[in-house]
Amino acid sequence: MSVTHDEVRKIARLAELDVDDATLPALAEQMSRILEYVAQINAVPASEGVKPFIPGPDAVRFRPDEVKPSGLAFGPAAFAPAFKDGFFLVPKLGAFEEPEL
Amino acid sequence: MSDPSEALASAKAAADRISKTKRLNACLTALKDLRKSLVAQAQAAHPSGVLYGMPVAVKDNICTLEFTTTCGSKILGGYRSPYDSTATAKLKAAGALIAGKTNCDEFGMGSSTEHSAYGRSIHPFDKTRVPGGSSGGSAALVAAGAVPAALGSETGGSVRQPASLCGVVGIKPTYGRVSRYGLVAFGSSLDQIGVLGRSVHDASRVLSVISGRDPRDATCEDRDPLRLPTVPESLQGFVIGIPKEYFPTDLDPAVRRACDRAIRLFRELGAAVREVSLPHTQYAVATYYIVAPAEASSNLARYDGARYGPRFNGSEDVRALYRTTRGEGFGGEVRRRVLIGTYVLSSGYYDAYYRKAQQMRALIAQDFRNAFDRGVDLLFTPTTPTPAFKAGEKLDDPVAMYLSDIFTVTANLAGLPAISLPIGRIKGLPIGGQFIGQAFLEDEMLEAAYALERVVPATEEA
Repeated sequence: MSVTHDEVRKIARLAELDVDDATLPALAEQMSRILEYVAQINAVPASEGVKPFIPGPDAVRFRPDEVKPSGLAFGPAAFAPAFKDGFFLVPKLGAFEEPEL
Repeated sequence: MSDPSEALASAKAAADRISKTKRLNACLTALKDLRKSLVAQAQAAHPSGVLYGMPVAVKDNICTLEFTTTCGSKILGGYRSPYDSTATAKLKAAGALIAGKTNCDEFGMGSSTEHSAYGRSIHPFDKTRVPGGSSGGSAALVAAGAVPAALGSETGGSVRQPASLCGVVGIKPTYGRVSRYGLVAFGSSLDQIGVLGRSVHDASRVLSVISGRDPRDATCEDRDPLRLPTVPESLQGFVIGIPKEYFPTDLDPAVRRACDRAIRLFRELGAAVREVSLPHTQYAVATYYIVAPAEASSNLARYDGARYGPRFNGSEDVRALYRTTRGEGFGGEVRRRVLIGTYVLSSGYYDAYYRKAQQMRALIAQDFRNAFDRGVDLLFTPTTPTPAFKAGEKLDDPVAMYLSDIFTVTANLAGLPAISLPIGRIKGLPIGGQFIGQAFLEDEMLEAAYALERVVPATEEA
């Protein structure tokens, strides 16, 4: 299993992560080794009948749909990078659109 | 302890002890702030609590009101949670004092505490070695005698592995035993808060307090807090299974000798010992390193510079903001795991990796059920394949680092409780043995651990 530099760039775009060109070769090599190692599970014969296992309660318990105090010791303004009039401030969305990957 | 002056003395003594361990880089809280907070907490603590005056350090991925919660990451530098985790709220309600935040691998991703943005923690016995991870700061503080117990968290062994390497007790409860409200998510189907302690009793007392139902966490089982067992006189009636896959031919001979010595002690205590097989064990690390990064890539999507922590600027649009913040804010191991997780979940690879890993996980859980259905009460294994390794030894080889979790990840994949306790030394370095119990039968597991702890020569060479 060998991951190319272009594949790393594509995955990094999907993960919204800047990866600089200097670290790309080492990252591609490490990802290839990890993926080669984990691919060993495919040596186990197909187990189509096996139901995926998730620990914990069989069903998620729902809380009553009631308005309650937030329980916060201080408001969001205190931990938001930028906050005004009850809103989180982020840069404008103008350049959000991007060609299909 | 029920006298306020004793709680105050305990707080000051804990601050003094923690300041003496500064060289370990185990505590991330500034010592001046820690001392001030400990004194204030001691003055406010309720004297009737069962942990009144007990200092408990807390891993830095568990939210506390008193201190910042950075998860060992630059991306959460200076972040202060506006609420307490349920575990720390329960500790405080029981009179315990939150004794600072401990260093850890970034977001719990690592086995050496070398992947912390705030520098590596040092093994308390040998400064050239790692204390394990990711709860390495908690383990080092307990091992150095600074606190009697500390909270850690586990996704693949991050409490038991450092406990083994530092010579302390580490408990990972059943998935659903302890509320995760306020535990920063890494791998949600695996994460559990655990406890490190000087002794089985210290760790169990803290576990008992933090366990039990919590309406704020839907994955927390609707059960009463864990009741502590009495210390047994013998292990008469216990059937202890020894899974042969955990004792490969290339296992470090000294680790094997330490385990053999513990197994002889089980027999002397009256337990029946039986070899068992968990045939899918060899695939556990591979399974784990698909499931955990997949869940991590989703959980860590929220760190984008808009909602938490610092924003790395110089970005002309919101997408560039996300990428710059995440690219600069995450360390190397987190970046690797986010990329692996994104890869295994992406179109075209999902079936070969993620779906297959979920099936393997079911087979690994079934292995345990089969063993327990055949009359085995508990399983006993080494916790780690080696004692503490040298700093830097595995940094450039992620797969080698991952393999240090080889004996611990199975309990996380199957959601089972497990405990590591010291069973000997190898050239002066501690090594741990592990009991894996049946779901929600921590009391049986703790009984066996109490019994072994009383007789095992934990500080003698194996």
